[in-house]
Amino acid sequence: MSLDTLLKKLSVRSPWLFRINAGSCNGCDVELATTACIPRYDVERFGCRYCGSPRHADIVLITGPLTTRVRDRVLTVWNEIPEPKVTVAVGICPISGGVFREGYSIEGPISRHIPVDVNVPGCPPRPQAILEGVVLAKQIWLKKLGLEV
Amino acid sequence: MSETLYAILHMTLFPGGLFALTLGLFYKALDRRVEARLQRRVGPPLIQPWLDIAKLCTKETLIPRTACKSVFLAAPVVGFAGMAVCAAFIPVPGVFGGLYNMGDLLVLFYLLPIPAIAMMLGGSASSSPFGAVGFSREMLLMLAYEMPLLMILLAVAMLIGSQSGGTAEFSLLKIIDWQLAEGSLGFHPAMIPALVAYLMFLPGTMGVVPFDIPEAETEIIEGPLLEYGGPLLALYQMGSALKTFVVLGLGVALFFPGLISDYWPVNLLWFLAKCVGLMLVSLTLVKSATGRFRIDQAFRFYVTVPTALALCSLLLVWAL
Repeated sequence: MSLDTLLKKLSVRSPWLFRINAGSCNGCDVELATTACIPRYDVERFGCRYCGSPRHADIVLITGPLTTRVRDRVLTVWNEIPEPKVTVAVGICPISGGVFREGYSIEGPISRHIPVDVNVPGCPPRPQAILEGVVLAKQIWLKKLGLEV
Repeated sequence: MSETLYAILHMTLFPGGLFALTLGLFYKALDRRVEARLQRRVGPPLIQPWLDIAKLCTKETLIPRTACKSVFLAAPVVGFAGMAVCAAFIPVPGVFGGLYNMGDLLVLFYLLPIPAIAMMLGGSASSSPFGAVGFSREMLLMLAYEMPLLMILLAVAMLIGSQSGGTAEFSLLKIIDWQLAEGSLGFHPAMIPALVAYLMFLPGTMGVVPFDIPEAETEIIEGPLLEYGGPLLALYQMGSALKTFVVLGLGVALFFPGLISDYWPVNLLWFLAKCVGLMLVSLTLVKSATGRFRIDQAFRFYVTVPTALALCSLLLVWAL
C-alpha cells in the first residue's frame, strides 16, 4: 500500500462536519447541534468535529427547504468548501420540501441545485438516523477518493 | 562542531521536534477524550490528532484571491518553527537538563508569543473581515496574559536568585537543581499565588474555552484560521500541540520538578504524569465546565486576578 493510499484511508476517520441552514425551522439544527449528536449520541467517537469555517469542512449537513432568500448564499458557501466533500441532506425539507413543498418562496428540493450524496428523512430525523447518515457519508467519501469500501 | 550537532539533535529528536510533537498530540487527544468522558460521551480515539493531520494533508490548499500570499503562506510556518525551537529548551527533570545554562527562561519568554503573533499575521493577511476581528481580539488577549506570565517568571527567578546569593536566576538548569535540593516551588508558601496565576495563564495562552475568544467558531467562524485549510491548517495544529508541550513542560520545570527515582525511564513517565495532571486541572476541567467570555471580560480578568496573584508572589519574595 502506497503512502498516498494510506493517507486517504486514514483521512476518512477524521470527517469534520459543517452545517448549512437553508431556511430550516431549526428543528433539525437543534437535533444536529445540541440534543442528538453532541452530548448523548456523540459524533465525536467517529472522529467528527463541528467546524465553523466552510474551508475546513469534509461533510456538509444541509437542513431546510432552500428558500428563495437564502438560495444564493447557500450555493456560495457550498462552493467555498474544498473538494472532496460529501453532502448530506438532513430532514425531509431539503429532500422534498416537506410541509413547505410547492410554497411560493421555496426553491427546493435541494438536489435541483446541489448534488446530494445521502438523504436522512425525518421531521426531525432521529439522532441514530443522523449518525447513520454521517457513517454512510464517510463511505461515500472513501469512494470519492478513489478507494473501495 | 559537536555542540552544533547536539543542538540540532535537541531540536529535531529530543526534547524538541519529534518527541515534543508526539507528546503534544497525545496531550491534545487525552484532553478531548477526558472532556468527552466528563460530559458522559465516548470521545475520539487517542490517535485522533494524527488522523486529523493525515486528513488535512490530503485536502487541497485554497488561497483567497485578495490575500497577501507570501505572508499568508509564511505565517503558519513561522508559528510552527517558533514553537519547535521553544520545545528544545524545555528540560525534562532527571532526563535532560536544558539546552543552555544561562538565560533560557528569558529566551522562552520571548519565544512563547510567536504562535499568537503568527496567527495574527495570518489572519490579517487572509483579507477576511473575520480574520481582522480575530486579530484585534488575539492582540488584546495577548497583552493581558503576558503581564502575569512575566511577573511569575520574575518571582521564580528572584526567589532562586536571592536564595543562592545572586540577584535573579534565569537559568532553568539552576532553577531545577535548586528545587531538587531544597524542595519544589509549588509547595513554597510564597510561590502558591504564582502557581495559581500560572494555572490561570494556561487556558489563555492555549486559546481554549473560556478564552477561545480570538477563534470563537460560533461567532467569528474561527477568526484568523477561517481561510486556512489543508496542510497549512495542519501546521497550525502541530504548532498548537508543540505549544501545549512547552507550556506544560515549563510549568513542571518551574513548580514541580521533583523526582521519584534515579532511573531515567521512570523519571520520563513521572514527567508525563505531572504534565497530564497540570493539563487536566488547568485546561480540561475548566474547558468542560465553562462557556466563553467576552473579550472585555477576559481582558479585565487577566489584568486583575492573575496579575494580582503574581504580584503578591513577587512582593512576598521581595519581602522575605
